[in-house]
Amino acid sequence: MVDAFFFVGLPYLAIVICVAGCIWRSRYDQFSMSARSSQFLEDGKLLFGSLPWHVGIITILLGHLVVAVVPRVWSSLMVIPAVLFGVEALGVCCSLLAIAGLSALIVRRITDARVQAVTTTMDLVVVVLLMAQIVIGLLSSITFRYGAAWSAGTVVPYFWGILTLQPEMAHVTGFPMLFKLHIIGAWVLIALVPFTRLMHVLAVPLGYIFRAPQLVLWNNPRRRREAVDATARAESRRDFIKGAVGIAGASGLLALGVSEKVVTYFKGPDPDPEAESALLQKKLERLQQTAEERQLELERQRVEMILVARYIELDAAKGKYFIDYAMAPGLAFKGKNGLPLLISAKCTHLGCTVGSQVNAEGQIMCPCHVSYFNIVTGQPNPGAPAKLPLPHLAWALVDPSGNVVASGLPGGEVEGTPSPELLAQCSLYITKPRHSA
Amino acid sequence: MDVRAHVSVIFHLDKCIGCHTCSVACKNVWTDRPGAEYMWWNNVETKPGTGYPTRWEDQEKFNGGWKYDAEKKDIALRCQNKADTFLKLFYNPNQPNLQDYYEPFTYKYEDLFTAPAGDDQPTAVPVSLITGEPIEIKSGPNWDDDLSGSPIYAENDLNLDKLTEEERAQLFEIERLTMFYLPRICNHCANPTCVAACPSGAIYKRGEDGIVLINQEKCRGWRACVAACPYKKIYFNWKTGKSEKCILCFPRLETGQPPACFHSCVGRIRYLGVLLYDADKIPSAMKVSDRALVDSQRDAILDPHDPEVVAAALRNGISEEFLDSAQNSPAYKYVIEWKLALPLHIEYRTMPMLFYVPPLLPVMGKSANGTYEHSADKFFTSLEDARIPVKYLASLFSAGNEQVVEAVMRKLMAVRYYKRWQSVRDLAENDVHRILREAKTTPEEVEAIYQMTAIPTHYQRFVLPPLQREEAIESTCSPEACKGCSGFSLDPAFTPRA
Repeated sequence: MVDAFFFVGLPYLAIVICVAGCIWRSRYDQFSMSARSSQFLEDGKLLFGSLPWHVGIITILLGHLVVAVVPRVWSSLMVIPAVLFGVEALGVCCSLLAIAGLSALIVRRITDARVQAVTTTMDLVVVVLLMAQIVIGLLSSITFRYGAAWSAGTVVPYFWGILTLQPEMAHVTGFPMLFKLHIIGAWVLIALVPFTRLMHVLAVPLGYIFRAPQLVLWNNPRRRREAVDATARAESRRDFIKGAVGIAGASGLLALGVSEKVVTYFKGPDPDPEAESALLQKKLERLQQTAEERQLELERQRVEMILVARYIELDAAKGKYFIDYAMAPGLAFKGKNGLPLLISAKCTHLGCTVGSQVNAEGQIMCPCHVSYFNIVTGQPNPGAPAKLPLPHLAWALVDPSGNVVASGLPGGEVEGTPSPELLAQCSLYITKPRHSA
Repeated sequence: MDVRAHVSVIFHLDKCIGCHTCSVACKNVWTDRPGAEYMWWNNVETKPGTGYPTRWEDQEKFNGGWKYDAEKKDIALRCQNKADTFLKLFYNPNQPNLQDYYEPFTYKYEDLFTAPAGDDQPTAVPVSLITGEPIEIKSGPNWDDDLSGSPIYAENDLNLDKLTEEERAQLFEIERLTMFYLPRICNHCANPTCVAACPSGAIYKRGEDGIVLINQEKCRGWRACVAACPYKKIYFNWKTGKSEKCILCFPRLETGQPPACFHSCVGRIRYLGVLLYDADKIPSAMKVSDRALVDSQRDAILDPHDPEVVAAALRNGISEEFLDSAQNSPAYKYVIEWKLALPLHIEYRTMPMLFYVPPLLPVMGKSANGTYEHSADKFFTSLEDARIPVKYLASLFSAGNEQVVEAVMRKLMAVRYYKRWQSVRDLAENDVHRILREAKTTPEEVEAIYQMTAIPTHYQRFVLPPLQREEAIESTCSPEACKGCSGFSLDPAFTPRA
């Protein structure tokens, strides 16, 4: 558990703090970022502190970096005893150099009143931590010899595991305490970077090598206008390109669809026999259906009378729908005289089926364009879309024994006056329209 | 021809009375802050003297400026070349330290009020502004003020090195002692070493007026600029860890006022105006031998009345209003038309854009048998055995080329003789005109020089270009096109680089 915290939790904590902190400070607190040199205040001792310290620590850090980046190349070099001894000796020498330099710096910082004036608490914390880290590192490299060789197979996989989000702390948990402390110290120092002067490591001016000697900045609106114009030109060009690409894309897709249709039109559908036979089958079925319908229609034409309803089903206010000889809808009402009143329900305007409900004015309404037709006269209301009246239909009342007891013509002439008792037993038929000469 | 405008300044040393009002004005406005107490963006030195920081002219020690390689005809930074910059990050052997300046101090004034009653008068002891501890004051920014002839200060002036023993002895002879004042601000050089040396790229020259500034956000305190500036006009703020320098009061310029040191100058020695120069000639103009440097710099400065120059300037985005101020510029008159103003230590090859009219007073003021000598026969004898040798002035203002300084002196003297003749009439008219001819000048020019030197108005001394935000916008660019990018602020949205 403790190992998990120090070798997995702490590293990630440190990396997150370091990265987020450095980004935050370089965005929002650039003014505080400085090497914070105190050479101006104290010039003598600094030379014997700063120079050995930096040379020593940079060499050692580079060594650490190389073994971490190219562990295989490094290992293959360390097989040669002379190189291994050389590297180990260089490391120890540089550690001693760094320790000597750092000691001089600490003494200077503690004893010189002027340097104290620019020393912060964090400076002291960093200096103490650095000293501890180097001493521990040096001790562990002396106690456990040839770290240059064995680190490539232990610490380096651990380090890469952390970086590649596959932490494998088993590489380091077996280490002696001294070495563990060195690793923990490294993570702590990394976490401290954004809050201390260690930040100056990130400000190493590598760009200076490549830049031109003179630097001129233009703030003048005129010069800026050129910049603005250039930006605007670039932007409008970009907009134009974007628009053109969009339009080209859309018309391309359209053209693709259109040309596909055109090609299919001229070439005809794919000669797929199965699809073709299925299509023919469907056509045949449709034709058969039509034929059946026509057959029914024909039969209808042949009969003298078609049943509409039983007389008792008729109502004065609500019509009963039926289909007439011309396969058009009709409505049957009970008229004022108690006799049936049959009227076509096909609107004379555009042919919709007119509603069956009679309103207070004795009219039925076509729901499509609101024409009101009087059921007695068949006339549409003035101003209605429909101009022609709905025609009445001829009818016949037949008693249960099959005799026509009464009949009516579209003009309104009625033959026969059956008694109400008889009427109740009758059925209503429409009769074939007679084309009188 | 890449025409650029430069806000340039002239210091007329004949008029400087050494009152330090300029230094105090600057101090009050800009450097009255912790870490900046020792900075004197403007300081006034007594010459001969060692200056501030002490012996700043000693480039053997400080290694500032450009070094000229006569064989390759090329220049390179004396220190801070790309190779050694990285080693010098840790310790810079060329950086001046507190000993070269002075430890800033104040007095414990509250002791005067809080001291317990006693037999003695309470005193305000000096305390360090860095540590807060009592210190013994050993030096200050103008510690050698008026100390001409002093063996510790004046005799250590580097410009005296070229003088013969005899000349030196004469200079420091009792009752013949002489001195003049040399006010110094940042030269806002056209070929600055501080910009070239800055590892972080924080120092830059403003394209439209040539003011050299340090971006305090980008500065990382590597201090290369402090070492590289041969004039030691970049100061390291020990508190913030950033370098600072004279900003030519650009916030004042942008609100239509001359810089604080200019405005407060009691002797009215300071002039400010626009110079047009050819940026294509930089740095090639500085790649010539020492003797040719002054003329080479004059060559790089363009005539604002020349139609070709005007056309090229307009093409380069310099506005009509800017050109107007360039045509009325006192700087152009002094530097090019009259050729009276010279750059300080041009041999550092930074091409300073601050020019000095050398002092004539101590040169002229030679007395023989208790009276001034100016007989009509030997007008310029006083120049040859002047109390301040021409060689000394040449070391300061013309990289040792005495002819340049002599020409200036002759003209300055001609102005005096002519004006004296006008009011006193103790010289023959023929002789006066002969003097003018020998000085290569005309009565008209002399009148103009006299007018600009002795009785100029405020607006003749300071011909400010339209750096004001409002003017800058109106004269150059419509507010709609330049929305959000106008003015001289360091708007991060637009920093197009040249």
